[in-house]
Amino acid sequence: MTRWWVAVAWIDQLLSEAQKSVDEAEVFFVKGTSVSADLKQRKVNLATFSEDYGLGIRTIHKGRIGSSSTNNPGQWRECLLAAVASGKLATPQEWKGLPDPVHLSRTPLSFDASISIEPQVVIELIEKMLEGAEEHPADVAAGSASLSSGRVTLANSNGVRYTNKYTGVSLSLEAIHGQSTGYEFDHSCFLDKVDPVSVGEKATFFAMESDNGKEIATGEYDVLLSPLAYGELLGNVFTPALSGRNVHAGRSRFAQSLGEPVTDLQITMYDDPLLKKANGSVRWDAEGTPTRQVVFIRDGILETFAYDLKTAYRFGKTSTASAIRGGFGGLPSIGHHNFIVDGKRAAVADERVIYVHNVVGAHTANPMSGDFSVELSNAFWMIGGEYETPIRSAMLSGNVFDLHHTISGLSKESRAIGSMILPSIRINKQRIIGK
Amino acid sequence: MPGIHYYDLRHVTGQVTLIDIDNGVVESAGTSFFNKAVIRVLSKTGWGVLQIDNYTPCTGKKFEAILDAACRLAKITQEHVILGKAPHGILPVPPMKEDPRDVCIEEKSSLLSGIEQAARHPLVVNTRANFIEKIENVHFVDSSENEYFYEVCRSGFNVLAVASRNGNVQMGYEREHSIHGFNLRHKQSCGKKAAEIATALLDAGAAKAGKMRAVLDPELAGVFAHEAVGHASEGDLVNEGNSVLKGKTGQKIGNENLTIIDDPGIHEFGFDPVDAEGVAVCRTEIIKKGVINAFLHNRETLSSVGNGIAGHARAMPGEPPLVRMSNTFIEAGDSTEHEIFEECRNGIFLKGSRGGQVDPGRGIFQFNAEYGYLIENGECTTMVRDVSLSGEILVTLHKIILCGNDRTMSPGYCGKGGQSVPVSDGAPHILLYDAVVGGSGVD
Repeated sequence: MTRWWVAVAWIDQLLSEAQKSVDEAEVFFVKGTSVSADLKQRKVNLATFSEDYGLGIRTIHKGRIGSSSTNNPGQWRECLLAAVASGKLATPQEWKGLPDPVHLSRTPLSFDASISIEPQVVIELIEKMLEGAEEHPADVAAGSASLSSGRVTLANSNGVRYTNKYTGVSLSLEAIHGQSTGYEFDHSCFLDKVDPVSVGEKATFFAMESDNGKEIATGEYDVLLSPLAYGELLGNVFTPALSGRNVHAGRSRFAQSLGEPVTDLQITMYDDPLLKKANGSVRWDAEGTPTRQVVFIRDGILETFAYDLKTAYRFGKTSTASAIRGGFGGLPSIGHHNFIVDGKRAAVADERVIYVHNVVGAHTANPMSGDFSVELSNAFWMIGGEYETPIRSAMLSGNVFDLHHTISGLSKESRAIGSMILPSIRINKQRIIGK
Repeated sequence: MPGIHYYDLRHVTGQVTLIDIDNGVVESAGTSFFNKAVIRVLSKTGWGVLQIDNYTPCTGKKFEAILDAACRLAKITQEHVILGKAPHGILPVPPMKEDPRDVCIEEKSSLLSGIEQAARHPLVVNTRANFIEKIENVHFVDSSENEYFYEVCRSGFNVLAVASRNGNVQMGYEREHSIHGFNLRHKQSCGKKAAEIATALLDAGAAKAGKMRAVLDPELAGVFAHEAVGHASEGDLVNEGNSVLKGKTGQKIGNENLTIIDDPGIHEFGFDPVDAEGVAVCRTEIIKKGVINAFLHNRETLSSVGNGIAGHARAMPGEPPLVRMSNTFIEAGDSTEHEIFEECRNGIFLKGSRGGQVDPGRGIFQFNAEYGYLIENGECTTMVRDVSLSGEILVTLHKIILCGNDRTMSPGYCGKGGQSVPVSDGAPHILLYDAVVGGSGVD
């Protein structure tokens, strides 16, 4: 710990330099390495090693927030000048200060000490995926395995000096059988939490099982969305509507819905940043506010929105420690750490249902109204939990907000999809458009 | 060096200026900096790639040590890669009409604010405008002593208006991005248009889904060319077997009137003076008069797949190049807009794009229009919202019945393999029979 702070002594220098011209300053510094191998069909074609740096500086002076970033920490002086200059243009706002330091456990939540950034380890993961892919007679088209590790440092002029180590492993495989494709992936911060054999097996399974799909007539059907398909709709439309910034800016359909039912009453949605071994776990958010569990929707009722400091100060709210940063050196914005959809679990596939593994085009949904039309990918008639007949090609059309009122069941198992942990959801009477 | 068949270095430095004005508040306005390099070494068995932040150009032993590290990494690869022969060379970057660096950020902010203010309207609850200016200084060098330097600046803006009435929330979105220099002046009309669309959509009905005749405007037809044809013609996907166009060179997959081109050399938003592995860029006719003619390639896929043209390798700063589109378009035909609507008679007119996606292996695409109009007796009538189009590539291309004589290009960004690169798509108005239109409207 001490050695790390000696290595980044320039951060203290930066903060004291900044305070000569602004009220407050904040430094966010990330240093990471990663190694990956890419498959072209069944052979490794490319191996990559990367070393990444990101430095983001924010300055606050009389309520004006300035910012700049660089991936060259040696260039911090120019970056600081750019941040101060940018603050002069920003509209001043109500500002009650950056967080003060508090004592937080230094044990990282998403760090696996056994992960070493070695090419040999990614090759072993690739071999296991290929072994799993052998299970079914589909061809491997492409795939990749990668390992990453790094350290995030946050410091501010109030004395906050936090640092956090992280690791990650991610796997993906694409398979094809005739004109039918299958895709599977897995990711975790812990090496023993990913299952490369299963990734390979599922990718070739979906490619094979989806072959010779049958047409479906246009009509209303009961649909079971896998965590992957559900996550696409949720992340593109629903979670942005919970952002305090979107709410106060008039860009959220939930703006007037606090205290009202916004989903079926069996649904609870919350962010749990302190969940052990989960991908997004962290003890402090991207601007140093200590994290805590935030329940957005409890038993169907909307309880709160997500806030960072800037939005909270502006609208007289409290930060929910929901600040995140996209990529290396990005500015803080409102997001979530581990977004969990929970509720009463049930056997959701006993009665005949259309199981949708993935969807194509969810990002084209209307984020304001929630209306969407997506193409189904790896969809099947399912009965008693068994895959029955594959569906060749069809569109699912509806409204992301409205469908939450028609959820009739959550699967027993949940799965991590990026920073979300989701069950499969059964929704009744959804419109499917056949070809 | 022993064991190295080829290497290249692509070093990009530059700066990004962003301004974000949200409901009249300047949320942020400032400049950030980057310095990223990617070094690729081809050994006997495959590629070793180093991605280096804060790269300091070096020669001699230092550079050899970098090559050596990449070469050691390549030891885990298993595929004998052959690079196809391709001409090298660089095009001049067109001069800018006004260099954005000559305009101070205060003026930029004030002009952007004018566009944002123009989007205000009693029914509009949110207006937001963003300006982005990205300057890239690129240095490319390879083991065959090809070396290029160039600078390209892309700048532009987006403006969003959100209208709301009785819980109905709709948006209008306009954007202009260019390689031709500063383009914030006299653009208030874009803000006004965003507001007009957002408010008009409050009264629009949901489109009824089903098979129908559809007229696509040049922007959406361009996205159609990009999603439905462009991706499936990328040599890496063809090589992996992940494209329905594989093995179909010379086959007729569309009507005589359909020609689809990708050309990184034209002065649109996807312009590249030279590709990301130093290859000279040129026009590739992917589909010529309805027949699959050529794939988009880098040097590796040119040699392994054939039937196409290299010069389509593109990369984000610091990332390894991938086979990508640049400026993709359907060639203009000879029909007038009036003839297209007359021939359609009854159907739907789809305008603007909210993006799209394709599964090239399965040959299924999906994309969404910003809005549309019903076509009745050859005339546009009722406005509709949230209309999408999806279908199978190999079926749909035969259904393009008419191509207009009015091609225009629209700028955008395309994502693939975690990298986002600037592109432009374009087309004339086109008429599509049996289009599978999605929407939540019911009878």
